[in-house]
Amino acid sequence: MSHLLHFAEHTLQEVALLIMAIVYTTRLIWLMRFKAGKERQANTGKGDTSSRKGIIYSWANIAMPWAMESSRKKFFLYSQFVIFHLGVVAAIGLSFIIPYAPQLLGSQVLVAVLQVIIGAACLIGAYRIIRRIASNYMRAISSPDDYFSLVLLTVWFFFAFWSVPNNTSGGETILLIYFFMTAFFLIYVPFSKISHYLYYPFTRYYLGKTLGKRGVYPVRRYSEEARS
Amino acid sequence: MNSTRSHKAQKVLERMGKKLNRQIVGSFAACVHCGMCTDSCHYVLANPGDPTYAPAYKADKIRKLFKRHFDWTGRVIPWWVNAKSVYTDEELEELKDTVFGKCTNCRRCSINCPMGVDFATFNRMARGLLVSVGIMPEGVAVVSKDQWEIGNQMGVLKEDYIDTLEWLSEELVDEFGDPRAAIPIDKKNADIVYSINPREVKYDPRTISDAAKIFYLAGANWTMPSEGWDMTNFGLFSGDDDLGGAVARRLYEKVEELGGKKLVISECGHGYRSTRCEGQNWAQYDLNFEMESSVTTMLRYIHEGRIKVDKSSNTDPVTFHDSCNNARSCGLTEEPRELLNLVAEEFREMYPNRAENFCCTGGGGAMSMSEYTPRRLKSAKIKADQLAATGAKYVVTSCHNCVDGLSDLIKHYKLGMKVTQLVNLVAEALVVPEKETAVPVEEIPAAAAGPLDGYKILVVDDEPDFVSFASAILEDHGASVVNAFNGNEALEVARRESPDLITLDITMPGKDGKQVFESMRKDPQLKAIPVCIITGQPELRKLIYDRSVPPPNGYIDKPISEESLMRNVRKILEIKQKATK
Repeated sequence: MSHLLHFAEHTLQEVALLIMAIVYTTRLIWLMRFKAGKERQANTGKGDTSSRKGIIYSWANIAMPWAMESSRKKFFLYSQFVIFHLGVVAAIGLSFIIPYAPQLLGSQVLVAVLQVIIGAACLIGAYRIIRRIASNYMRAISSPDDYFSLVLLTVWFFFAFWSVPNNTSGGETILLIYFFMTAFFLIYVPFSKISHYLYYPFTRYYLGKTLGKRGVYPVRRYSEEARS
Repeated sequence: MNSTRSHKAQKVLERMGKKLNRQIVGSFAACVHCGMCTDSCHYVLANPGDPTYAPAYKADKIRKLFKRHFDWTGRVIPWWVNAKSVYTDEELEELKDTVFGKCTNCRRCSINCPMGVDFATFNRMARGLLVSVGIMPEGVAVVSKDQWEIGNQMGVLKEDYIDTLEWLSEELVDEFGDPRAAIPIDKKNADIVYSINPREVKYDPRTISDAAKIFYLAGANWTMPSEGWDMTNFGLFSGDDDLGGAVARRLYEKVEELGGKKLVISECGHGYRSTRCEGQNWAQYDLNFEMESSVTTMLRYIHEGRIKVDKSSNTDPVTFHDSCNNARSCGLTEEPRELLNLVAEEFREMYPNRAENFCCTGGGGAMSMSEYTPRRLKSAKIKADQLAATGAKYVVTSCHNCVDGLSDLIKHYKLGMKVTQLVNLVAEALVVPEKETAVPVEEIPAAAAGPLDGYKILVVDDEPDFVSFASAILEDHGASVVNAFNGNEALEVARRESPDLITLDITMPGKDGKQVFESMRKDPQLKAIPVCIITGQPELRKLIYDRSVPPPNGYIDKPISEESLMRNVRKILEIKQKATK
């Protein structure tokens, strides 16, 4: 292993993670400086729900594709979402496995699983780029950051896919690109829309708290399909 | 701040900083532009291919300001995240068109957002910011002014309100032959203080008398306040928390002054939400009494056996429309269905329903914004399809806004359905105990006598609910009715349709009734058409009669009743009313 690759796998990643952690902390402090709205009124609804129930339902919402019409009716989009985010987890995990537990990649099963997930995420990323460009609805709501973040992740998936075997016999270029991209990704994330997962617990917490208190969450649904 | 920024733009940005709370900031920051919300909006579905109606697109019109002024990436590299400031009043007008004219704050996109972005909440905030600098649809300004100054959003004067309650009381006493059937006003220490929507006084007093019958037969210790009786709150629609707080406080304080134990809110989605769920927060007010929807009260009376109902009184198939404010913001979805099943023989569910139901398209104050009427009615196609699919004859809803919105779209799409409320069906289904039954009074002849078959009448008014109300009466009597919502449209429709009579409001946006009247009298094609002025501002009568043109053929002050409208119309059309009594 070259000094450069060692640097990319260790020092560079650690510095990038440290920067990300500092920026994230700053970001959270910034968010928490805004006062949270308070609800004085007594609960509404049938009485079988509460703020607490609403919060749990709201957090779990994303894992219940049947819970929202948008994910229920667009199951293909929802499936893409799941695979894409599994790809992110796998590719991030890979950046820890290679430097700190490379022996795990001796398992061909793990290599295959990671490559399938990351490869699928990469294809979905490409599809999402096309969708964002081709759909006038998506174009209308897209900023340069939206395009760049998507392209960044898709290209990163591509190099992560080829880096999974952690094989340098053909050269270190792929691994070097993957680790430099990972570092860039970690530093860029807090400044981009990719930081949405930082806000996710908060937005869903407050929506769940409000709608739980008001008896809306968990949503009662009596669909036409259920009737028939 | 930029020195070239207009005063209003400057104020909007300054006030935005004060309005931000953690929920709103989270919603601003968390959107990933995934597009999952797009198809949840009825405006999008009714306008395929037009991305300007997409919730995320509309949200970005507000979000860009937040990003430019409050979010670090947007401050440093604004173009990268589409962050933009606002500089001119024209840009604020464009924002007004989005936040008032392209969204009813129905919250359907909020519950369909994977990230939990509550667009409706910050859209309301944006409305409030614009209102604070005087940028709003004219209807919003008028209604807000009435609610600030007169104390209710339809400008109903105290004497008219009391008069209405008194004649309703007289009718109830006659009907039951019992003085206890009268509506108690300002009774101290009652178990229930009943609050209503001013629309009930002005256009739908039957809902008040139906509720009074139910309270009477249930033996309730109840009252209606002489002041502070309006449970609606235009602050919800205008985004003006100060108005919201003041209106809510007025009602809460009145209940406390009367020593009421429970505030019962008549069937109104936004009224229920404002009074029950939001008012305390806007007013920063903690209560020492309970509040509930009249739907809950009626259901409890049946469960407790205090009133008896017979569902065979309501045999036509009915469906139920969930008001957005009731269902998506207050969780009031099961009680109305339970009640409906008790008082109607055939209830047909509408799909989607409950929190997933589509907006009536008249919500968010849309009925008061006549400039957006064509847009509203186009978007109502989604609701119309939903209604038609049920095959029901009646659509029941627990919201006065929805009554107007649905009535309007039913007429526009010629669905042939009727809209009613639960209180009407419950009253219809009431089983009156023998001992409570008075000797039936002599039946009062319907004001309907005297058909208007073959007559075409143009109803001109910028208030869609008034237009619906007057049109329904005239159509019930056989007239063919055409509508116009502003002065220019009135002249256009009058020339095209050559009606036999025109009812004309005076105060309207654009060309007002006075100018329209004068134009009609000077127009060779229109001058012979009789005109009946109908206005809520009798003081403007002089302005009409002072003109150098022949005077109008009739003049009615609002609020109008079916009888007064028909009496005047018949008189003008020289229909001889057969004496029926």
